[in-house]
Amino acid sequence: MNRTLKTGLSIFRIRAAEGLQYRLAALSGATVSIFWVLIEVVVLTVFFKYSDSMGGNINGMTLAQGISYRWVGELMIMLPAQAVDSDLLKKITSGDIGIELCRPLDLYWHWFSRTAAGKVNSFVMRGSIVFAFGAMLSLLGFRSVGAGLPCSPLHFVLFIISLFWAFLFSTAYGMFATSIRIGLEWGDGPINLITVTGMVLSGSFLPLQLWPDFMQKFLRLQPFASYMDTPARLYVGSTDIRPGLFFMAVQLAWIAAFVVFGRMIMKRKVKNVIVQGG
Amino acid sequence: MLKEIKIYFKFIKMHILSGLEYKGWWMMCVQTVFIVITDPISVLLLFSRFGGIGEWTMERILLIYALAVASFGLAESFCRGFDYFPWKMIQSGDFDRLLLRPHSLFTQVAGSYFHLHRLPRPITGIIAVIWLLSRMNVPFSPLNFIILALALAGGVLTYTGVFIMTSGLAFFTIKGLDWIYIFTNASYQVTRCPIDYMPKLLKNAFTFFMPMLVISYYPASAVCGWGEPVFTGFLALPAGVAFLGFSVAIWKVGVRHYKSTGS
Repeated sequence: MNRTLKTGLSIFRIRAAEGLQYRLAALSGATVSIFWVLIEVVVLTVFFKYSDSMGGNINGMTLAQGISYRWVGELMIMLPAQAVDSDLLKKITSGDIGIELCRPLDLYWHWFSRTAAGKVNSFVMRGSIVFAFGAMLSLLGFRSVGAGLPCSPLHFVLFIISLFWAFLFSTAYGMFATSIRIGLEWGDGPINLITVTGMVLSGSFLPLQLWPDFMQKFLRLQPFASYMDTPARLYVGSTDIRPGLFFMAVQLAWIAAFVVFGRMIMKRKVKNVIVQGG
Repeated sequence: MLKEIKIYFKFIKMHILSGLEYKGWWMMCVQTVFIVITDPISVLLLFSRFGGIGEWTMERILLIYALAVASFGLAESFCRGFDYFPWKMIQSGDFDRLLLRPHSLFTQVAGSYFHLHRLPRPITGIIAVIWLLSRMNVPFSPLNFIILALALAGGVLTYTGVFIMTSGLAFFTIKGLDWIYIFTNASYQVTRCPIDYMPKLLKNAFTFFMPMLVISYYPASAVCGWGEPVFTGFLALPAGVAFLGFSVAIWKVGVRHYKSTGS
């Protein structure tokens, strides 16, 4: 256990350092995200300002909060973007998984650290660049399109914790998807399907608060709010502290659930894995 | 020319057959349909939350969106080879092999990638256009049909142009071309914003530089009578040809500039 932990941490460090080298590619990717967020900001503004039922506060969310939500959300987009780490996918499809199985490490935690490193990379190289841009817009005086300050210091502290939970959740979920992908002869279709579902339900398409009222209960309890909705809500303060703590508990529960599921499925799959060729 | 077309379809057939080897190929198609349907979900939810925006109803927004998606989908189905080109061919050096073959580079690159799961996107888009038009009680007159067909043709040329431009630029930069995404998958997201309220800069960029609105909004306006001058509805094809010409020029310069990167 101790050794697995130590190796896991080194793998994490190596992979993270490797990924950080592609700075130019990251900037170019961030441009697209910035463009994307700006369009969404425009769309939200148009709806809040000009729609027939002009609303200042929709289900506890104002326009300014909605815009900040979108920028902060970019910090977490790293998470849903790609469920199965591309390197691991290559290992699974090429049969290199056989070599991985020979290592005296617990496969689950070994791959867990790799997946986690991938998430950190896109967080540093993409999410934070995009968010910094949003914050800069506000500083330069474009308040109506830029990211705002956190609601209160307490909200901010909870946001940081919840962000870390989101990171763990996305890694656990990524490992869950990876376990399903092992030995799957169906190609990437099924995995992509659940990834897209996860993205839609995470709030990255539209803050979950703005979804229809009858769905709100379901939206709060489903796993994918843990990706970005919960931290983003805490940052902009469109939720009070007490319900916020409840959402964070939901996050923790889902992290545990996905680790357990992921390990279970992986154990079963690895037993039956067939590696062809040499 | 005929020979090139024959070769192109031979390539396509090969790709289809190899794609069918995967048991889950239909699943990929389902996935594309799912993505096409969930993409505009935020617009649907916003309309259900806020109601219409003056004259702008959900149908209007969706019609413009569907037109752009259908064009993009068709171009993507048949020319995505160009889009993968920088990654697959330049970085690996495989492009050298193409240069040696006695065939048009265009055919070879365009036919270098095809997958069945690309097709559901344009099909869903076209079905959506027809459904939305009948919902808005727009008559299917011959004139309307011609406008829409021209829009689609122009749209395919425009998006093919974007793909070719990506490849052309890849000769110079090799890496870090992700920003071109703004003109491919991200471009039709712009149509979610009602045109009347769209920032000038955005509107001009997607009208005069990359004519995305010319192949979606203006034809839709001409067909449904939203008040833009009718002749603008016919500009899709010329705009597409112009943009494609511009891209091909970049590509040509790129090919001349090419130095092998591979081993």
